[in-house]
Amino acid sequence: MIWAVALALGIVIAAGTYLALSRDVLRCLIGLALMGSGVNLLLFAAGRLVTHVPPIILDGETLLGAAANPLPQALVLTAIVIGFALLCFSLVLAVRLMLTTGTHDTSQLRTAEPAPTDDHKPALEDVR
Amino acid sequence: MQPQELNATTTAAAHTTMLPLVLIPATLFALLLYVLFTVALPWTFSSPWIPSLGIDFRVQVDGLAAQFLLLITGIGTLVFVYGAGYLKGDPKRMRVFVLLLLFMAAMIGAVISDHLIVLFVFWELTSVLSFLLVGTHHEEESNRKSAQQALLVTGLGGLFLLAGFILLSEIGGTYSIQQLIARTATLPDDARLPAALALIFVGAFTKSAQFPFHFWLPNAMAAPTPVSAYLHSATLVKLGIYLLARLDAAFSDLPFWEVTLVSVGTLTAVGAAIQTVRERDLKRILAWSTVATLGTLTMLVGLPGNGAALAVATLFFAHALYKAPLFFVAGNLDHGAGTRIIDQLTGMRRYMPWTAAAALLAAFSMAGLPLSFGFVAKDALTIAKAEADVFMLVSYATVFVSGVSVAVAAIAAIHIFWGRDTIPREVHPHEAPLNMLLPPLVLVALALVFGLAPTLVDPLLGAAAHAIAPGFDTAAVDAAYDAGPVITATLSALVLGIGIYLGWDRLHALLDRVRVFDNVGPESWYWRKLKFLPRLAAWQTRRLQHGLLPRYLLVLVGSVTLAMLALLWIAQPVWIWPAWHTLTWPVAAACVLIASAAIATLFMRDHLVLLLVSGLVGYGSAILFLFTGAPDLAFTQFAVETVYVVVAAAVLVMLRRGGPLPNAAQPEARLRPFALAVALAFGAMLTALVLYTAGLPFDAALSDFFGAQSLSAAHGRNVVNVIIVDFRGIDTLGEISVLLFALLAALPLLRLAHAARGRVT
Amino acid sequence: MNSRALLAEVLVRRLYIVVLVASAWVLLRGHNAPGGGFIGGLLAVAATAAYALTFDATRALQRLPLGPLRLAALGVLVSLISGLPALLQNLPFLTHLWFTLPLGFTELPLSTVMLFDLGVYLCVWGALGGYCLALVRAIEPEP
Repeated sequence: MIWAVALALGIVIAAGTYLALSRDVLRCLIGLALMGSGVNLLLFAAGRLVTHVPPIILDGETLLGAAANPLPQALVLTAIVIGFALLCFSLVLAVRLMLTTGTHDTSQLRTAEPAPTDDHKPALEDVR
Repeated sequence: MQPQELNATTTAAAHTTMLPLVLIPATLFALLLYVLFTVALPWTFSSPWIPSLGIDFRVQVDGLAAQFLLLITGIGTLVFVYGAGYLKGDPKRMRVFVLLLLFMAAMIGAVISDHLIVLFVFWELTSVLSFLLVGTHHEEESNRKSAQQALLVTGLGGLFLLAGFILLSEIGGTYSIQQLIARTATLPDDARLPAALALIFVGAFTKSAQFPFHFWLPNAMAAPTPVSAYLHSATLVKLGIYLLARLDAAFSDLPFWEVTLVSVGTLTAVGAAIQTVRERDLKRILAWSTVATLGTLTMLVGLPGNGAALAVATLFFAHALYKAPLFFVAGNLDHGAGTRIIDQLTGMRRYMPWTAAAALLAAFSMAGLPLSFGFVAKDALTIAKAEADVFMLVSYATVFVSGVSVAVAAIAAIHIFWGRDTIPREVHPHEAPLNMLLPPLVLVALALVFGLAPTLVDPLLGAAAHAIAPGFDTAAVDAAYDAGPVITATLSALVLGIGIYLGWDRLHALLDRVRVFDNVGPESWYWRKLKFLPRLAAWQTRRLQHGLLPRYLLVLVGSVTLAMLALLWIAQPVWIWPAWHTLTWPVAAACVLIASAAIATLFMRDHLVLLLVSGLVGYGSAILFLFTGAPDLAFTQFAVETVYVVVAAAVLVMLRRGGPLPNAAQPEARLRPFALAVALAFGAMLTALVLYTAGLPFDAALSDFFGAQSLSAAHGRNVVNVIIVDFRGIDTLGEISVLLFALLAALPLLRLAHAARGRVT
Repeated sequence: MNSRALLAEVLVRRLYIVVLVASAWVLLRGHNAPGGGFIGGLLAVAATAAYALTFDATRALQRLPLGPLRLAALGVLVSLISGLPALLQNLPFLTHLWFTLPLGFTELPLSTVMLFDLGVYLCVWGALGGYCLALVRAIEPEP
């Protein structure tokens, strides 16, 4: 089981990284979302995958029997929610960026860090 | 700030006097004197400061520290009196006084602390305060540069000092100076000791302006004169000597210690004495002669023997008593005659009689004429040399330095104040007010008293010498006294000094032509390095901060991958591959869905399709969670993925409705091999990591605990939920707070997003 | 949306309440079966998002009690308060307490942990709902 999941998460993270390395803001965001999904899978897999029984104590019992590891689940659950909040926020930023600058190409966003004209001068001197 | 504004805000304050502040150092001084007379030295006190690091605030006041404390508070009092007059009407004087007070506190802390790290903290504080004080009038570029130089040289030296302290405490097994001295016998065996001492030397030499770090001190004369008199002659620059003297008890027997201190001290003294003659500004002349004295002190600390210890203590004291008044005199000349250039100052006696008197008496002591306190110091110096049996070269050097001292004293007293005033002036010079006359006069009067009756200060100097050399014995020094060499030394210095004084102008012209001093040597090296730094910074900024987002990320992911691979390589883990056969069909299907959707995203050019395909990865994960015993996760992932894809798709659709998405100026290449390679390496590394982890034995202690306690202690059957809301409740509380604060922080941005919309549509 | 279907509007208006009730049920059963504050909150966010996409952000905002920021703040506050009763009994903060309320015909089990989960639910709904509404609003045409 772990083999399949490990391969799948490796592919997801690789694809996410490749997308995130793009100049296109939207691709970059989707790539980051994929990386997030991959990392969630990684965290989940780190707690071992042995069974399909959920970690819920059955009626009449007082102890958790042979069930999935609850700890990584708790961690991943909150990670998913936080990741979603992060994604929504960055999407708002991206939308705003596109509406104000008219581009989704990060190589054209050089207000804060202008392109170099001289290797031996600080960039800010170029602005002045 | 505009000048008018500045005036408007400070006129009210311009007339308030700073004199009441004098009460602070004066009270401390009086208190100190009282305790000195009533309680026997040494005083100790200890209280924990940072217990976890084993740092105690341990205070130890012995003779050496007491002498320093007297100088810090005593000269501090006079500097405050003087400063109240000198800085009258200066809009920045409040700042100067507050900084001086802080500096005084830092100096006291440095001198009394017995813990090396505490000493270091105060040491660096004095460097920072010196920077702020030298840069008082930072409107002028040269002042800024001087302040920066003082900070860079002494601050960097401080870092060396810290390294030396840490190494020394590793060797000695303690941070307490007193315990280190007690353990001296076992220390010299350690091979790291020379390195530790060398580091400490760098720190002490930068602070006390020793060659090759001496150049910052004359430049620090950009500070207002009271500051120069206090920091750069009496206290701050002596801190390095203080440290060396403090450690002398432990290391004076080491040849390395003696050779280094004697040679560096002598070199500094001679070099500074030559530089003295190259100056025309009285304050800079005094500064160079201070450097020369500091060199002599360093040399004396290095010399073994009791006489040297007494000489250090005496010269410390004598120097403070004559150099501070001379600085005050320079300040009075600046104030009354408007210049400190010695060529434009002759016959000042008739305009400034009291200043002239102070100058004369201070010069008397500086020249070391008989019956002055300076003579006592010179006396001790000669005895020390005789006792330590130094090289002839060092002996000649001290005579030369003494000769230049005599010449400087003559310049300060005779050249400036005697003779006829032949320089045409528009405004006649005038005498300084009382509070600028009192401080130098008090000091020279003290020097006079101590010169006539050295027995008055004998106990104090003896106690200080005892702290430097624990075996110090007054009787032994007295027995070694031999009038012959003292008379010879005094006479030869006098003759040489008069010669230099008479030939000062010719010597000056000669030395001024020797440009070697400007273009080689430590100071020019410093300036070259300083010019090189911004270029280096700009170059590396261009390389690292190029503003290209993908490249930043590439570097980041690439370095993380490399670091992890390097770790795996170093650890050389034993790989235990997990079993294949446990794979179930639903999990296999979910993994295939996840992987194929992820691969498919790479080929989608259209944003909307790309988004929908990437959503499949989330749904795949949800299915995987469902069949690996995590229904909670599955539900969460389903809900999140649905909301995200639907909302994002709606956003994309509506964005397009306003017109096609703007295209990149240069379309991105379809295949970016480098990015692909890094991405693949990153993914492969994580896959390997997961597989490696899976092969390790699993520690289920925490999970078992939660499983066992969930129902009995927390009354919940869903262990995941119990962990979230109960066992790890504070984490969750923090997390929802993060959600709230993120929303709070983002709200302005979200509103802006709303406002920005109008521009495009 | 310009050409929004009447059917969708009617459906979403009915569904909104249904989904909210369902989310509350998911919240309450969470301690003993799959569910809980996070999942319940996300369901409620889904309802808000659907409402915003079918109608518009402003109307969805009106259906969001207290507005996003105050709702999220209330959630954090409720969670915080749920940890306080433990302090009265000299227990560490956030030690949960259980008790039953007799109602005559049956007993109602109550606990501070339920209050805590309610806080999580409200915060998730408020914060994530707020983000979704902001996103929708960012691309809506001017009214």
